[in-house]
Amino acid sequence: MNGAEREVLLELRDLEVGFKTKHGIFRAVKGVNFSIYRGETFGLVGESGSGKTSIGRAIVRINDVSSGSILYKGRKISGPISRDLDLEVVRTIQMIFQDPMASLNERAKVDYIVSEGLYNIGVKRTEAERLALVEKALLEVGLLPEFASRFPHEFSGGQRQRIGIARALIMEPELVIADEPISALDVSIRAQVLNLLATIQKAKGLTYLFIAHDLSVVRFITDRIAVINKGELVELAETEELFRHPLHPYTRALISAIPQPDPRAERIKVVTVYDPACHDYAVDTPSWVDVGAGHFVLANASELARYKEEMSSSA
Amino acid sequence: MRSPTRQTLATTCKDNVMAQGDPIIQAKDIIIKFSLRGRTLTAIRGASLELYEGETLAIVGESGSGKSVLTKSFIGMLDQNGWIDSGTVSFEGRDLARLRSERDWLAIRGKKISMVFQDPMTALNPLKTIGSQIREVFELHHGMSGKTADHAVIEMLERVGIDNPHERHRQYPHEFSGGMRQRVVIAIAVACKPRVLICDEPTTALDVTIQAQILALIKALQRDLGFTTVYITHDLGVVANVADRVAVMYAGQIVETGTAEEVFYDSRHPYTWALLSSLPQQGIKGQLLYSISGTPPNLFNTITGDAFAPRNPKALRIDFVRQPPMFEISPTHRAATWLLDSRAPAIDPPPAILGMRAKLGGAKLGGGVL
Amino acid sequence: MMRDRLLAGAMSPDAIRCAVDSGSGAEDELSLFEPAEFDPNAGERGGYSNYSYWRSTFRVFLKNRVAFGFLVLLVALLAFTFIQPMLPGQRNPTKIHIDPATGMQFRNVPPGKEFWFGTNTIGQDLWSRIWSGTRTSLEIGLLVGIAEMLIGISFGAMWGYVRRLDAVVTEIYNVINNIPTTIILMLLAYIMRPSFKTMVIAMCATGWLGLARFVRNQIVIIRDREYNLASRCLGTPTRRIIMKNLLPYLVSVIMLQTALSIPGTIGWEVFLTYIGLGLPVSIPSLGNLVNEGRQIMMSPELRYQLVFPTIVLSLITISFYVLGNAFSDASDPRNHV
Repeated sequence: MNGAEREVLLELRDLEVGFKTKHGIFRAVKGVNFSIYRGETFGLVGESGSGKTSIGRAIVRINDVSSGSILYKGRKISGPISRDLDLEVVRTIQMIFQDPMASLNERAKVDYIVSEGLYNIGVKRTEAERLALVEKALLEVGLLPEFASRFPHEFSGGQRQRIGIARALIMEPELVIADEPISALDVSIRAQVLNLLATIQKAKGLTYLFIAHDLSVVRFITDRIAVINKGELVELAETEELFRHPLHPYTRALISAIPQPDPRAERIKVVTVYDPACHDYAVDTPSWVDVGAGHFVLANASELARYKEEMSSSA
Repeated sequence: MRSPTRQTLATTCKDNVMAQGDPIIQAKDIIIKFSLRGRTLTAIRGASLELYEGETLAIVGESGSGKSVLTKSFIGMLDQNGWIDSGTVSFEGRDLARLRSERDWLAIRGKKISMVFQDPMTALNPLKTIGSQIREVFELHHGMSGKTADHAVIEMLERVGIDNPHERHRQYPHEFSGGMRQRVVIAIAVACKPRVLICDEPTTALDVTIQAQILALIKALQRDLGFTTVYITHDLGVVANVADRVAVMYAGQIVETGTAEEVFYDSRHPYTWALLSSLPQQGIKGQLLYSISGTPPNLFNTITGDAFAPRNPKALRIDFVRQPPMFEISPTHRAATWLLDSRAPAIDPPPAILGMRAKLGGAKLGGGVL
Repeated sequence: MMRDRLLAGAMSPDAIRCAVDSGSGAEDELSLFEPAEFDPNAGERGGYSNYSYWRSTFRVFLKNRVAFGFLVLLVALLAFTFIQPMLPGQRNPTKIHIDPATGMQFRNVPPGKEFWFGTNTIGQDLWSRIWSGTRTSLEIGLLVGIAEMLIGISFGAMWGYVRRLDAVVTEIYNVINNIPTTIILMLLAYIMRPSFKTMVIAMCATGWLGLARFVRNQIVIIRDREYNLASRCLGTPTRRIIMKNLLPYLVSVIMLQTALSIPGTIGWEVFLTYIGLGLPVSIPSLGNLVNEGRQIMMSPELRYQLVFPTIVLSLITISFYVLGNAFSDASDPRNHV
């Protein structure tokens, strides 16, 4: 794994995203730093309210960034940017949303929904060309071309999510942000959609930012995982490394709580609870540290020493 | 290699007396229909289920399987446009399917059979303190009032793990986190010491760490208060954690029932196979997950044969012709699939299922020789 | 032969069903236990639901028999209002009728064979006056309703969707809204002199704000739904998001508001006429008729001059209200069962 040669597609530098509320500004994302390389599947895992969705939306410019920056191929795409750059962001970065019941326009035909983006990027197309692209996109996601003239309510959740995926892919993006794309789907449909995402990634050389709360799913499809808690990244590592040597207590708690479809394993499972009070950050403040081989953790000096000892003893 | 069972018991399954004694709820051949936009939808197409005292039964199914509808019929909460077309639900000597008026249901709902719903926020009245909402149950069903009721409320809050109950009982639902609210809902549901507690996806809206706590809470309450629990869920991890017995539903029917060990380690119905195999935990990185193509059938139309057949690549021709009866694999394990018929060829389940069987070891497989 | 075909796997599931039903024998039954052909697309077609929003809306609406009755009544009333002048033997509403025998005006003639609704204090035929008046009032109501709709929706949509406008416009709205409509209407009518055009302009000027506020509220509710975020992510411009994503959801509520505004407008017209700022007496309108009738209300034998226009006005008002509400209920997807 030669990190130096891989192209950095997306980089987040000290990203802060805040929302105005009655009681002041709520900092949803606090000082997040990470990079995504071309061709990889990067997982961002956290519980509800951790800020993971806000990060995804900030990248596609739905949410505003309070401070810090987001760079795509070295160019800043956060904050005020030119119309041309905005258009390029629309062309190259797309998003798949969580709830298939809410992410499609109920009053529009599938035809319009899928090709909506094409109207916006200003390429002149005849009606026939556009329809052909729509049919091709539907086939790619495993739907029948005849579905183009129907309305979203005529389809099941899994099919609607695939329409959402077709809508994103027809733009031919380079980076796709999948915001909990399977959480709202039935168990057996999840596998369909995951397979679809994997197949398309291979076929088109896409890069994914996969936002999820389900570690078992994330383990299966991602190359690297970042764990986020209450707006701060607590750990980042390659997937198997994270599961083999989770350092941060929050990561450990999350991993211990993964449900297993195995009655015997569930009976003997012990769930560790994460207590934020286990950190003493009063004097020794934490920082984002590299403990080797691309494994980062949020720790202060004393915790770092402890983690390094654990890693060397278990290695 | 032939399939392990030789028996073809279409009608005598329900005559088997289980080791635990007689069931407290016995549903037989339930058919539930809905009138929707001028057409009739058959949501439950002939389901039979038993619930035994003290156990935890998990009903597993995806959207459209009818799992919520079936249990709603046990407490008389079917939507206005739905009705039980045929079948019986025996509970304490009465047939719940015959109950029509609200007065009849008041004696059962909330008192003998209680339900916990998925979204705690909509289950609680945002304008009343949680203390008063729990108190209501005591006043209504136990005739308590005044200090006795207060004590009962505080005790209940302690039981469900809400810290500082003496102050918190005066707070409103929005002042609690999701997990805490679900605890309050559970407190209201068990306050009247029901015989049966039905939990409809109680942890789906919660984070994984809170989920574990809530499941542990329900288990502890079950132990202390002695009720029987029914879980409705699509999450197999939850099922593995809590269930003694499992019933798998698809397209309005129960396709497989058995103990948790039997259903997880020795499943026999192709839908159960597909469900268990398609979990990401079974996936091998770099390879595609086992997945089922297509979508569940439209229940407005009459379905001929096995409802799962169009999505089953290993379906037999008879699956499109005739509906399979329930075949018995062991006294506790049943599945409705033609694969268990003596005339059926041996079909190999997916690799993930073979892996699960290996975990179990050869000894547990019921019936004949392999 | 049937059996050979079954074994060769050449029959589709439907054909197999036919063969079995026709009783091809026990041997063929055994062959049913062979694996079947698998069509992956068959699974995709399974979940199709034929729900159509508008079809369900109309079905629920038509089931409401009271509303349907009022619909029939209103359509008949409206149709007659416009057909009436073309019927034979109808009189001119402003013509003063003079008795050829006595040379005197036919004043205050009670309803009878000659004048079906009687005549008013200066000898004009009430029957034709009422229908002409209804026409005028309806025209005002419709014009104002449509104008309000266009202005109110465009403004309300921008107000609701563009966040930067929201704070400023809300403040302006709060100020304007506190000025009583009555005063604005009276001022405008006074300045511009009573006429048909004045009424329309004056009522548009005050009526659009309510609809704008309503539309703004609805849009604020739906603007952050995921499908709108998705459109933003795809680069869709604001104009198209409003036209294709937001307004189609609001069609039913907007129609309700417009339906309710028509009787409201007629009510305002009656009020303005009552205080003398309505249409000139030469143009019959429901407002004029009610006003004239009111002036002679105390004499019991002349009460018919108040009763007839009031009945017509009430029928129209009640019909619009009932229909508006029934349609609004019917268009709520939660009632589509």
